Amino acid sequence: MRILSILLIMVLASAANATEPISFNKQIRPILADRCFACHGPDSAQRVSDMRLDQQETIFRELPSGEFPVVRGKPTESELIHRIVSTDAEQKMPPADSGKTLNAEEIKLIKQWISEGAEWNQHWAYEAPQHSPLPRPIKKWQQNNSIDLFIQARLKKQRLRPETSADKETLIRRLTLDLTGLPPTLEEVDQFLKDDSPEAYEHVVDRLLKSPRYGEHLARSWLDAARYADTHGLHLDNERSMWPYRDWVIKAFNDNMPFDKFTIEQLAGDLLPTPSLNNRVATGFNRCNVTTSEGGSIDEEYYMRYAVDRVETTATVWMGLTAGCAVCHDHKFDPLSQKEFYQLFSYFFSLTERAMDGNALLPPPVVKVPTESQTANQTRITGEIKQQVELVQKILADAKYTDSFSGDDYPAFEKSDRIWFDDTLPAGAKPAGNPGPWAFVEGPDHPVYSGKNSSTRTGNGLIQHYFTNATDPFVIAENDILFAYVYLDPDNPPETIQLQFNDGSWEHRAHWGADKAHGAGRNNASNKSLGSLPELGKWVRLEVPAATVGLKPGAKLNGWAFTQFGGTVHWDQAGAVGASQLSPQQKESYAIWKHFLETVSTAALPDPIKKLIAVAADQRNEAQTKQLLSYYLENVNPVTVAQLAPPKQKQAELKKELADLEKAIPSTLVMEDRKEPRVAHILERGEYTEKRDAVESAVPAWLGESPVDAPQNRMGLAQWLVSPTHPLTARVTVNRYWQHYFGTGLVKTSEDFGVQGERPSHPGLLDWLALSFIESDWDVKQFQKLIVMSSTYQQSSRVTPPKHALDPENRLVSHGPRFRLDAEVIRDQVLAISGLMIPTIGGKSVKPYQPAGLWKPVGFGGSNTSVFKQDSGEKLYRRSMYTFWKRTVPPPTMSIFDAPNRETCQVRRTRTNTPLQALVLMNDVQFVEAARRFAELVVTHGGDQVDQRIAYLYRSVLARNPKPNELQLVTQLYHEHLAEFQEHPEAAKSLVSTGESVRNESLDQTELAAWTMIVHLIFNLSETVTKG
Amino acid sequence: MNPIREAELIETRRHFFGRTATGLGAAALTSLMNPAAFASSTASALDAPHFAPKAKRVIYLFMSGAPSQLDMWDYKPKMQEWYDKDLPDSVRNGQRITTMTSGQKRFPIAPSTFQFKQHGQHGAWISELLPHTAGVIDDLAVIRTVNTEAINHDPAITYIQTGSQLPGRPSTGAWLSYGLGSMNENLPTFVVLHSTVNGGFGGQALYARLWGSGWLSTRHQGVSLRSTGDPVLYLSNPKGISSKMRRNMLDKLALLNQDRFDDVGDPEIQSRIAQYEMAYRMQTSVPELTDISGETQSTLDMYGPDVMKPGTFAANCLLARRLAERDVRFTQVFIRQWDQHGNLPKDIRRQCGIIDQPCAALINDLKQRGMLEDTLVIWGGEFGRTIYCQGGLTKTNYGRDHHPRCYTKWMAGGGIQGGIVYGETDDFSYNVQENPVHIHDLNATMLHCLGVNHEQLTFKHQGRQFRLTDVHGKVVKPILA
Repeated sequence: MRILSILLIMVLASAANATEPISFNKQIRPILADRCFACHGPDSAQRVSDMRLDQQETIFRELPSGEFPVVRGKPTESELIHRIVSTDAEQKMPPADSGKTLNAEEIKLIKQWISEGAEWNQHWAYEAPQHSPLPRPIKKWQQNNSIDLFIQARLKKQRLRPETSADKETLIRRLTLDLTGLPPTLEEVDQFLKDDSPEAYEHVVDRLLKSPRYGEHLARSWLDAARYADTHGLHLDNERSMWPYRDWVIKAFNDNMPFDKFTIEQLAGDLLPTPSLNNRVATGFNRCNVTTSEGGSIDEEYYMRYAVDRVETTATVWMGLTAGCAVCHDHKFDPLSQKEFYQLFSYFFSLTERAMDGNALLPPPVVKVPTESQTANQTRITGEIKQQVELVQKILADAKYTDSFSGDDYPAFEKSDRIWFDDTLPAGAKPAGNPGPWAFVEGPDHPVYSGKNSSTRTGNGLIQHYFTNATDPFVIAENDILFAYVYLDPDNPPETIQLQFNDGSWEHRAHWGADKAHGAGRNNASNKSLGSLPELGKWVRLEVPAATVGLKPGAKLNGWAFTQFGGTVHWDQAGAVGASQLSPQQKESYAIWKHFLETVSTAALPDPIKKLIAVAADQRNEAQTKQLLSYYLENVNPVTVAQLAPPKQKQAELKKELADLEKAIPSTLVMEDRKEPRVAHILERGEYTEKRDAVESAVPAWLGESPVDAPQNRMGLAQWLVSPTHPLTARVTVNRYWQHYFGTGLVKTSEDFGVQGERPSHPGLLDWLALSFIESDWDVKQFQKLIVMSSTYQQSSRVTPPKHALDPENRLVSHGPRFRLDAEVIRDQVLAISGLMIPTIGGKSVKPYQPAGLWKPVGFGGSNTSVFKQDSGEKLYRRSMYTFWKRTVPPPTMSIFDAPNRETCQVRRTRTNTPLQALVLMNDVQFVEAARRFAELVVTHGGDQVDQRIAYLYRSVLARNPKPNELQLVTQLYHEHLAEFQEHPEAAKSLVSTGESVRNESLDQTELAAWTMIVHLIFNLSETVTKG
Repeated sequence: MNPIREAELIETRRHFFGRTATGLGAAALTSLMNPAAFASSTASALDAPHFAPKAKRVIYLFMSGAPSQLDMWDYKPKMQEWYDKDLPDSVRNGQRITTMTSGQKRFPIAPSTFQFKQHGQHGAWISELLPHTAGVIDDLAVIRTVNTEAINHDPAITYIQTGSQLPGRPSTGAWLSYGLGSMNENLPTFVVLHSTVNGGFGGQALYARLWGSGWLSTRHQGVSLRSTGDPVLYLSNPKGISSKMRRNMLDKLALLNQDRFDDVGDPEIQSRIAQYEMAYRMQTSVPELTDISGETQSTLDMYGPDVMKPGTFAANCLLARRLAERDVRFTQVFIRQWDQHGNLPKDIRRQCGIIDQPCAALINDLKQRGMLEDTLVIWGGEFGRTIYCQGGLTKTNYGRDHHPRCYTKWMAGGGIQGGIVYGETDDFSYNVQENPVHIHDLNATMLHCLGVNHEQLTFKHQGRQFRLTDVHGKVVKPILA
């Protein structure tokens, strides 16, 4: 009987439709688009005849054959009808090989449409939204705003009734989850329940819209659309620093940035007249696409792919336009031509980015994004450095220098050794030897030339000790002669000794004795022969002119090798001796110093001072003379140098601090156009090698003209998208918001508003919402409020069988929304309830728990994300939107609950129900730990009695009290678990030790374990993971 | 299950459905009882195959990094005379090559150092590197003219696995899950196995998108079966929760969920009850699957000594057979480290040493069990390698760059004719001379063996009917049984 009545309703409903005139957009175009457009539609390459059915101009126009595709009011004269009813295989449309057919019902509809006059309209979504009269309110039904008028009018037509308002507990949970992605706290629930005022609900809405959690939650789905992630996505899939953009999005939502501004900044913030740092960060939107640096890749191919991705993403997000179809050919269903695609492509084809990302954290263009405290510190340190510089200047200015030397009887200059190492190796040096390491011996039992030790080696054949990687390199100066001291054991002399010098390569060698060391037989810079072995049994200084071993002035040594063939050899003190030097006493005289420069060497001087010296003394002007003296005092004169040491030291410290600070400042990828734009071409079949006509940036005019004055760049594109007459942007945007609350958009295919997309369930409402949004100056928060204030949103989500039969997907919104929470919300919810959640907003992404060994089996060996290293402490408990997103291996608990992998733009998630989801909730340490932590709260805050605690638990998780049967069942389970744990205390101990967070040791382990199980049970309830 | 427990469960179910006088339970009941419910709570996209399938399931042995057809399969004896001579321009014909070798001054020919012999009834030439595989050659259809457009690993492997070089589309296994649904109630429809090489992982990267579901429902994505830790993620109960306690908790959970369903009438709740039951069953069925203690010694011997080391290619081949036995629709075994730009002779010997015996064992094992008839086995990589040398060339050492224009894969089992070698390449194994098989053709042929017309397995996304084979692909009829 019930079934019969449902059928009856359905029959009546369709009969009601039958009496209405045919709607071209609703009933006819979808048929033509699906069955005919592939050959008779917009794609010029595929069009096989002159009959074109997608345009008003052509559908009524005479064909070359003399026939008319459609004659208004006269189906029998319409060629279209002749063809679709024909029984002649040659004539019959669609042709058999297309695999497409029209059924009798569809043919009847087309006939009826022509009989009724063949009304033809543009595809609904390509005409600007229109205000239509508001539907009349229906008596006795609750209406809060115009949304309800539209929804209820449709329900009435379908003979359905809206549900009454959900109870307050359900409402506050629904609302809090929807606006913040977190459940309400117990206090928030109590406060709402206590508030009897008519504005109680609205107060909660206003409070939530002000919560910083709101921005995080709304940003999250935007980040799906923006394909935001923390790695490049292709090949090595190395880390990328993009998170300042993510934080920009959060802030934009929290600051309630109007959507038009939000659009302009993300698409073209860099092209604003004076772009702020934030404006530039916003352009990260179109740097979020996947990139590669795979060896062997061809740049041109990737420049093209990146630009295609940006067009597809931009078109999907703002216009619900499936632009990607026009990469290879004219769009088959929508009027987007291939040329128009490449005109859009041109906007994104001229970035300064490189095709290969270099596997770098920050492939340019990038900007530094300091935090507030970093900026403050930068300013402070820079100021302090300035003070120290001024102090130096002051000391120099105050110095009263008089030269004690006069006349022209200059002293002689001496040469002195520059020792690089003696007793200990230079900083950073990595010692090595073969065989075995360095050996040091001390006097007096062993020969030592200077200091307390020498290095030594005994053995057969070619043996050596050496070091590399010295961090403070030894710089070769002009005329340098390298030296080292050697002692050959007279009882066991070697056949050969050799010195080798490393300036990045070891190809600088000299040897004495037989030619039996490295590079034997060469006798060139890579192994110069410098004569026979030195005298045995005494310390001898070996000297190697740097030039003879190919070391030029400026060469930097980082390694040195002592090599021998057999025997026992001692080595000591090594370095170089170069040109003559000034003695400390000589340095005290300005005149002597100048004389030294003029007669010996200016090599040590910086270029500007060198130039001054080159000027003859009597030719120097006053400023130059002053500059030279000042240089001398600051850098040479031992007295003033000593005076300056403290401020200089301080300066160096500050500079290091500043450098460290600047190194820590995060950066993010941004957009930036080349000065000389790259010319875009139409690419035949979408092949980057097949260039056809060049095109310039332009918008598809059939969607509306660009605003006057709009520049022909990304800024112009953005301005066009948010011009109030654009038919798509507002509709597509409000539709995604609707989807956020109701699970399905008014247009179900929120990514496709084109001819092949689904029609809106409530066209009038969609237009009304779009226009309201534009008229509010794109006020995003106000729009969210509009939806949640409607009685439609506040309906109970209960569903009765007859209603389910008529409205199975709730497209008519005959009841309140009910669907499974998103992956992130499911995790965040238990973190919040258990008190584990760390509320910090933004920052570098974190790596919470993840089963071991997920990255390694698939990661490229050289990738910096091939090994997962879990974070600890607070980073385990951040909101899920901050979890490090490796695109080629997304965090498993997120993907299992349908989060996309963020490789491409996604504006709608699927919502599945799988056993793997059950396993996550049952066994993932994150969820079990949260259960344990919350169990601690249940025991400490939930009262003394079991039923009190269960009530506390229910109210904390579900915002409602348990029903008596639930209470009874859960109580029973508690006692069963408790008994079990009492029997197996070690099991209790294991369970309550889950996770890294500290356990409240004062609580009884067994009892806590039993409560952990109870919380675990409640965390696994369908109701818990569902918004109801 | 013990009889008392079973009675309780039936009682519980009766309790569930007894109270659903509303009639809404019916749909969910189907999903509870439907063996295909693992993969979906709805039916598969195809009500029935397009025609009678020859194969029910697929085991795909994927050689990531691209093995050299020149050293394993595509015998080019003439090349010995061409040692260190330049590849004629007329052969290359201006084709694009990767930027790893496009800067080389020369393209010297590197003939294979390996000996080839004829095997099987039709005398197919096979390299000395594959002695075991040579023994099953009469079961294989060797295709020497597989080709693709992609010249680098990431786009190429994405292409062959999803039909597009760009990320975003569903993988082969996801298409099968979507199109054909599941055949079992305890295991996923699409399972992925990763193999270790010399005890570790390394080589060209793999990507979740290779077994992802693209814009199909995420329920179709592949499930990795791991050799360390939980074989299926999150399978084991946390420490301290015994199996008994888990059962008790799940029973109460089902009652509470059912109660909620009675209140609010949302059929998703019943589906969730079913999914928890499935999860519980997996906790038993998966360990049973990976426990090979019941295998006979002769079976184990067939796969070679590595079979006892979990995670090796040998162990994974055996596991693939066990999955096939349990009617898992699509099992994909990945082994990496075939990307031999240098030191090819040494490295390919190691790789072949790892895969040769297990590949042959898998064929023989399936055959012995009568399962080769309805199991399709596919072997191969994402592209081939060049005849010209990358880097230094000596008589005994060389490297080869990526070569997309022709390479070798083989298919065997359900629907495939054994003992044939299909397609001819030129003397340089550079161009296809006869019977090209594009990777779309290969995928079309795979679907054909499963009873699916590749042009009719579609999913509408962004207004377009998408296919695994994009708008291309034709079935390679001559290799069909």
